[in-house]
Amino acid sequence: MIKILVDRSKPTAEEIKSRQNFDFILKKASINGTKKMLPWYYGAVGLASFIVAILTILS
Amino acid sequence: MAVNLLYHQNDFRLEDELRQIEIAKKDSRQFAPLYKKYHEAIFRYIYKRVDDEESAYDITSCVFVKALAGLHKYEFRGVPFSSWLFRIAKSELYQSFRDKKAQRTVSLDSVTIVQFIDEINEDFSEEQRGTLLNSLKLLKEHQLQLIEMRFFEKRSFKEIGEIVGLTENNAKVKTFRALIKLKEIFIKTKP
Repeated sequence: MIKILVDRSKPTAEEIKSRQNFDFILKKASINGTKKMLPWYYGAVGLASFIVAILTILS
Repeated sequence: MAVNLLYHQNDFRLEDELRQIEIAKKDSRQFAPLYKKYHEAIFRYIYKRVDDEESAYDITSCVFVKALAGLHKYEFRGVPFSSWLFRIAKSELYQSFRDKKAQRTVSLDSVTIVQFIDEINEDFSEEQRGTLLNSLKLLKEHQLQLIEMRFFEKRSFKEIGEIVGLTENNAKVKTFRALIKLKEIFIKTKP
């Protein structure tokens, strides 16, 4: 259900600016990026796919 | 119509921004000026569409995390960086609605309501205002999105097209179709 708000208070530019946190963005983005590139990630996915394929062939 | 200065930049500023993006692709810390430049615009876009301020700040952070993590994929092919960020913001918003972390909201001010009632060739009254608000709720999401961006946020068709992934002309056609649909609903629901 859509909610409609009329004449809602708007945070000021200063309030919004005070909530900027670039270090957090940097940290989170590097964690997300690293997670995808870790060799064990691909290794684990590859191994799991291999096991599933073998079990499928055997059954 | 008010000019959105963050979108309509001159060539010099656009080139400067593209240079900044290329630098940030090599060194993530150099993304900071772009983050500072667009943080408020992205926050306000999200804030208008969710009912909770804290959720708006959280979604804004997610947008910049996604943007920074995927910056290597950004190439200037006619879509400005600001529109690319708004695309990510749109996608993060809908993810939040699906995850029920935020509620779809339309934020309007009284002046916009009066202007919009005039746009659909009706005279303003309290009844008409109530009818308009109820009619908006009955639009499909893609129609509401176009009405919001064009009439409530005063964006150009070119920018709307870039955000929703349409050509400028297609954005224009679909926005007018959405307006016609809204008028139909308005007339049907009018007391």
